[in-house]
Amino acid sequence: MNRTRLIFFAVIALALVIVGVSFLLQQFSGNIPNPTAQPIAVRVVSALPIEPWVSDAAQKFNAEKRTLDGRTIVVTVTPMDSVTALGKYDRGELNPVPTAWIPDSRYLIELVNATQSEKLGRDIFLTDGEYRARPVVTSLFAWGIYKSRDQVLEKKFGEVNWKTIHDAAIAKGGWVELGGDPKWGYFKLIVPNPNKNAAGLLAMVSAAGEYYDKASIATEDVTNPKFQSWLKELMSSVTDFSSLSSYTVEDLALFGYSVGDGGQLLESDLLVNMGGIQTRWADPLVIVYPKYLTWFDFPFTIWMGPETSAVEKNAALLFQKFLLTTPIQTLAAQRGFRPVNTEVNITGADSLFKKYEAQGARVIVERTTRMRAPDRDTLNALRRWFDLNIKGR
Amino acid sequence: MSKMKRLKKGSAPNSTCAILFGIAFVGVFALAGCIFLIAFMLVNAPTETPVANATLDLAYSPEKESLMQEIVTRFNRANYKTPRGTAMTINATKMDAADIVEAARAGKFTAISPDSSLWLAQIDAGRDHALVSEATRFAVTPIVIAMWEDVARSLGYPQKQIGWQDLLNKARSDPNFKWSHPSTSSASGTLATLAEFYAGANKTRNLTEEDIKNRATLDYVSALEKTVRAYGEGEQATIDQVLAKGKSYLDAFVVSERLVIYHNSKSQTKLVAIYPAEGTLWQDHPLALLEQANLNDEQRLTFRRLRDFMLSPEIQKIILQAGYRPVDLNLRLDDPGSPIKTQNGVDPAQPQTTLQMPNAAIIEQVQSYWFLTKRPANILLVVDTSGSMGEQNKLGQAQDALSTFLDQIQGDRDRVGLVPFASSVYGTVTLQDIGTQRDALKNRVRAFKADGRTALLDAVAFAYDDLQKRGDKERINAIVAMTDGIENASSTNTNALVQKIRRGNQTGVPVIIFSIAYGNDADFNALNALAEVTGGFSRRADPETIRKLYKILSTYF
Repeated sequence: MNRTRLIFFAVIALALVIVGVSFLLQQFSGNIPNPTAQPIAVRVVSALPIEPWVSDAAQKFNAEKRTLDGRTIVVTVTPMDSVTALGKYDRGELNPVPTAWIPDSRYLIELVNATQSEKLGRDIFLTDGEYRARPVVTSLFAWGIYKSRDQVLEKKFGEVNWKTIHDAAIAKGGWVELGGDPKWGYFKLIVPNPNKNAAGLLAMVSAAGEYYDKASIATEDVTNPKFQSWLKELMSSVTDFSSLSSYTVEDLALFGYSVGDGGQLLESDLLVNMGGIQTRWADPLVIVYPKYLTWFDFPFTIWMGPETSAVEKNAALLFQKFLLTTPIQTLAAQRGFRPVNTEVNITGADSLFKKYEAQGARVIVERTTRMRAPDRDTLNALRRWFDLNIKGR
Repeated sequence: MSKMKRLKKGSAPNSTCAILFGIAFVGVFALAGCIFLIAFMLVNAPTETPVANATLDLAYSPEKESLMQEIVTRFNRANYKTPRGTAMTINATKMDAADIVEAARAGKFTAISPDSSLWLAQIDAGRDHALVSEATRFAVTPIVIAMWEDVARSLGYPQKQIGWQDLLNKARSDPNFKWSHPSTSSASGTLATLAEFYAGANKTRNLTEEDIKNRATLDYVSALEKTVRAYGEGEQATIDQVLAKGKSYLDAFVVSERLVIYHNSKSQTKLVAIYPAEGTLWQDHPLALLEQANLNDEQRLTFRRLRDFMLSPEIQKIILQAGYRPVDLNLRLDDPGSPIKTQNGVDPAQPQTTLQMPNAAIIEQVQSYWFLTKRPANILLVVDTSGSMGEQNKLGQAQDALSTFLDQIQGDRDRVGLVPFASSVYGTVTLQDIGTQRDALKNRVRAFKADGRTALLDAVAFAYDDLQKRGDKERINAIVAMTDGIENASSTNTNALVQKIRRGNQTGVPVIIFSIAYGNDADFNALNALAEVTGGFSRRADPETIRKLYKILSTYF
């Protein structure tokens, strides 16, 4: 082998060594960041009642290591009361902006859009097209009352509704006057704190509906002094607004009839806590559906602003579709929600609706009048009234 | 030919040059590539980050000390790690609930677990941004009036529902009836006081500031408070005293249901829990994260892990066994293994009704007005200033501690006097309303000099005689005696003084003695004999702990 060839092979060998060493170094040094391989973060802000189910689903979704454009999708879920989220959207305090939001009800989306339209000249959440808001489960308000107390109320008033509950709340002699056990003290109403839980605000809207006997409530209705005086008497029978928990049914279960004889609460919350309440307090809870139904449709809605990329929006869409799959909708039904996927039925023997049918739970609710969503001014008027008259008591 | 040879000879160096140039070129490229690659890796290699701190500093209230120690030990032993590999650990500190509020607002601790969520509102009161976040509860227990079974039966238990009114009637009609509730530095003390104000206002809800200030309410609460034997540092301390002294210590006292179970598991003589007819309140034992400026994401993860750990079925079972009602509703209170049963003096179906929880401002009003209604006290501070107090700065620390004590006595109607002693009693300061002489007392304390021998018994006898001469039955009469040595200069002896106190307490006003054995050389036995005969107690202290002990003692008045 002449010198030239020797040198040639030496060069090739040197190059191979360099490439090989580089390759080895690369292997042993771990992953060198490749921007295109970064996971796609989908940040979901979820209403409190469905957050445990959404978080559970997110965990399952993440475990499947789903990808989009070769990148893994990672879903994180932040529980946040819808009214709080509404305020944060308005004030631009959600940083980073969530990719998707699941509020309690569609009307909350409309409220955000109303403000954002003024600022940006367009809706920030779409109501049609691929990215439109789609309900992922539904539930509704129902009365949950301890059976012993319900029997006394039925006997005294014939029916449980906001008006008779008000009459029970103002009974000067408490339960003795109503025909109940003197040990029960005064009638105690359970209403979530409207500053911590949108359901508290909607409970006041529902009360207004029955007070006026109509399904649509306006600002002048809630600012009427006679109504406010009636509402104050009603809300004064709530034991604890300063409670740590935003999950009122949990309080009803944990502290029993000692803190609340009953209240208008989310059906799904009532259903999942029925067993625990019965175990802890021996006195079962009964469910009564009100005349005007307040529905919660928990829409999954994707933020359309430039703060999130197209690939993030599409990844959020994949998670939305995952929430609508039969196995995940079945999990929702097990938590007392009404699934939107029609393949999942709630009439089976293991359904909570069937299990607690004797206590008033119904798959099909006979009452059909639906409370209409109030406008933003009406809600603000109610919140202001609450802060001035009840919060500081 | 020669030209060609020359040419050939000339071409060889050219091709060698080209090859060498090629080698150099490739080499330089390869070298540059290597350098670039290494530099790239160095730049992008995980940087040497400071050791992340995933340790959570947790303050908890004292009544759940054994439970929290067990939970924290189990948690730390589990070796949980954050995704970055940092060990999750908990540093737990026992602290009065009121002190937890103060410490949290001062930027200390990253997590807290007081006895009630009412303290959480006080932490955030007046703040622009909430300090308390991610609060959850892991155990609950109602506040009850604990009574000996025979005492309860004399009031109509179990057929009749007993309330605060029954307690007041009993205390008024029976001068020997002894009851107490903790001071408002604990939730049970605050909640008991709140319940008294509700009863005084004849309400169970919508308590207003006007109700609290109302003369009739204040008279009612004053009448009830007048029958209180002494207050105390907290419910665990009360139950420990009850366990040690039995029926002679108290007839009834306010504690959580859980401590009735605890007592009955350790004593043959049983207590029963009375759930007041007017309604009671709950301790809800929150666990909350504090958004302190130094809180990092690793600590946040540790908090969440701890929260999940405490809510796990394994720990919830431990919580039930400790006598609390667990938040896990799957655990039945009526299971055979559950301690929440009538045999243990408690009733899982109670309470039937609770009082309405007012907002933080109303609770503060109740705490403030309690100082106007609580039973006032005559307190004589018997202080050793003998020569040995000059060693190891004992006197200096004691002076600081006495100043703290004087600051802690918040009811201006309480009377405080000083009985300093060395070889004899000297330079006493007569009992006066503390509101009028707080500064004078502090100045007198600051002027103490260590000198002379130890006439402890003469000093205690002097203070005792003073209180007996006054014969003030409306007030709590108490002596807080502190010495660092052994009695060596008095004209009386321990036995004689104990006999005298026993007789005096039966025929005159009852005087309680709390004694402090300061340092290793203090005569604990003599001090304990003096305290025991009055139903008081003795505790040991050193220069490190004396201040805390005086602060604790201040809660008894």
